[in-house]
Amino acid sequence: MHRWMLFSRIMEAECCRRNPRWFPAQGEEAILVGAFFGLRPDDIAAPHYRGPFVIYAMRGADPRRLAAQALGKATGYSLGRSVPFTGPADLNVVPWVAGDLGTSIGVAAGAALSIAYRGGDQVVVLSVGDGTTNRGDFHESLNLAAVWKLPLVVVVQNNQYSISLHLSSVTAAPIVDRAAGYGIPGVAVDGTDVLAVHEVVAAAVARARRGDGPSLIEARAYRWGGHWAADRALYRPATEVDEWTRRDPITLLETRLLDQGVLSQAEIERVRRTVEAEVAAAFSQAEQDPPAGWEQLGIGEVFA
Amino acid sequence: MTFVEAIVDGIAYEMRRDPRVLLIGQDIGPFGGSMQGARGLYEEFGPHRVRDAPISEAAMVGAGIGAALFGQRPIVEISFGEFLPCAMNQLVLQAPNIHYMTAGRGQVPLVVRTRVGDGPYRGHPQSFESWFCHVPGLKVVMPALPSDAKGLMIAAIRDPNPVLFFEQMSLYHGVREAVPEGEHVVPIGRAQVLAEGRDVTVAATGWMVHRALRVAEELEDEGVSVELLDLRTIAPLDTGTLLASVERTGRLVVVHEAWRIGGIGAEIAATVAEAAFGALRAPIRRVGAKHVPIPSAASLRELALPADAEIRQAILDVVRYRRSG
Repeated sequence: MHRWMLFSRIMEAECCRRNPRWFPAQGEEAILVGAFFGLRPDDIAAPHYRGPFVIYAMRGADPRRLAAQALGKATGYSLGRSVPFTGPADLNVVPWVAGDLGTSIGVAAGAALSIAYRGGDQVVVLSVGDGTTNRGDFHESLNLAAVWKLPLVVVVQNNQYSISLHLSSVTAAPIVDRAAGYGIPGVAVDGTDVLAVHEVVAAAVARARRGDGPSLIEARAYRWGGHWAADRALYRPATEVDEWTRRDPITLLETRLLDQGVLSQAEIERVRRTVEAEVAAAFSQAEQDPPAGWEQLGIGEVFA
Repeated sequence: MTFVEAIVDGIAYEMRRDPRVLLIGQDIGPFGGSMQGARGLYEEFGPHRVRDAPISEAAMVGAGIGAALFGQRPIVEISFGEFLPCAMNQLVLQAPNIHYMTAGRGQVPLVVRTRVGDGPYRGHPQSFESWFCHVPGLKVVMPALPSDAKGLMIAAIRDPNPVLFFEQMSLYHGVREAVPEGEHVVPIGRAQVLAEGRDVTVAATGWMVHRALRVAEELEDEGVSVELLDLRTIAPLDTGTLLASVERTGRLVVVHEAWRIGGIGAEIAATVAEAAFGALRAPIRRVGAKHVPIPSAASLRELALPADAEIRQAILDVVRYRRSG
């Protein structure tokens, strides 16, 4: 998980550097990795639009093609047709194809329905933002998933901000409390602690795999960057930013690994350099690829 | 079989043949569906495959999309087409985009069926089918005949793309026809010439096909020869059949029950004007509902919806048109 958190940090930073409209995920690595690490290949991942590249990579996506996606190249997974953070559907991922927030919840519930319908024991893990939980789709689809006992784990990637609005100004009560309204377990967890996130999600996954239905997990962290890369987020109090950015989820894990003697400082640095090289190579290769053009526009490819 | 019986027959046939097919909707279980639109399905297939759902159109359509994406063949029934906008984001942002934006890796073989228009029930008449024709990636069908209803429903279930299936309530119990038993598929995207004619092409959908047919029979006796085209699919439009007909007759009247302004007739008229201007001997005319919310009282409804007299007058106007000066 350590390596994947570094991959997320470094990959996302490179995307932000090259694309000022990218959605920074810095600070949320413990949720991204903790929630989706260790799933079976036949489980289905439905990540949020903020930071999904590490999740696709964990499932086998090629970093070069992810980089190509970010650069709008013809070699990206979606041939430049979708938003750049969409994932390859054939890795059991729910792709981002819509510009709204909330419809992904319905589609993830549908993926879970597909599993329940066939009588399988696969699970769908979905992550959504805190802002998304106020959409009607959240209510409708969680109720439906609960009533039909669908194998869906809903992880709220609570980074406390929806563009410029703090959660407290737009949400009447704690998100985790909504679980009671659907008769499903609701758990709040420190979203900067990857091991804690992983433990809580794994328990919810086990519950869903047993056929006991959906769960809601609210993982609380902080959006270190702006809503988009070039957003300086001056609407946030400096004290709040300082307080939260001191809690680096990667540093927290590395400290623990060092204390427990799992990794040495030299080994930690070696992992970091390896990941940096991997990401750099992915981008330098992707840069050579042609931009998406007429062939990728594919007017005749709208219908199957 | 009646129109609705034919639709249910098509669904049942496909559910027997393909275990991936499931139906999601309100009151489709023991209740048998609104206006008997699911009659017998629960008894034959049970609650695992015929699933009553909460009144959550967005969740239902989303669930249909997700289930389709991951291997099933869901039919989501939106009780009445007036509720389609409740699921709008799913219908126009998710369903039609997935195949294209995953570069073909993902498919959404979803059918969304719904009831629209006037009819014996006299509720929920508004019909928004033209909106969905605007969206790349959606197929939209509106049959007029029971045999086509069955054949198009089977085609829709087998289609790897999202298909919106509009069922006009005025056809439900009132139109009856011999329907082929067993395997019967009508291709999506093909209009049908129901009556050949020389003087004018009348392109219509659903209930208006029957109304136009009645008017055409009267006009035949008055020496006007009408070629009646049942569109059957409104997206993608069968422009080949449409243009070939207009090239022959030189005149076009489009008739649909939905509002005239922004109805599918607008797209058809523009398409024909662009592609067959040289063949046209008269302006194109469209007949549709007046621009009011479709009212409740029966007497008002008669005034709001297209009348036979209007269809007749539109045909005569184009047949008698002479360019002045």
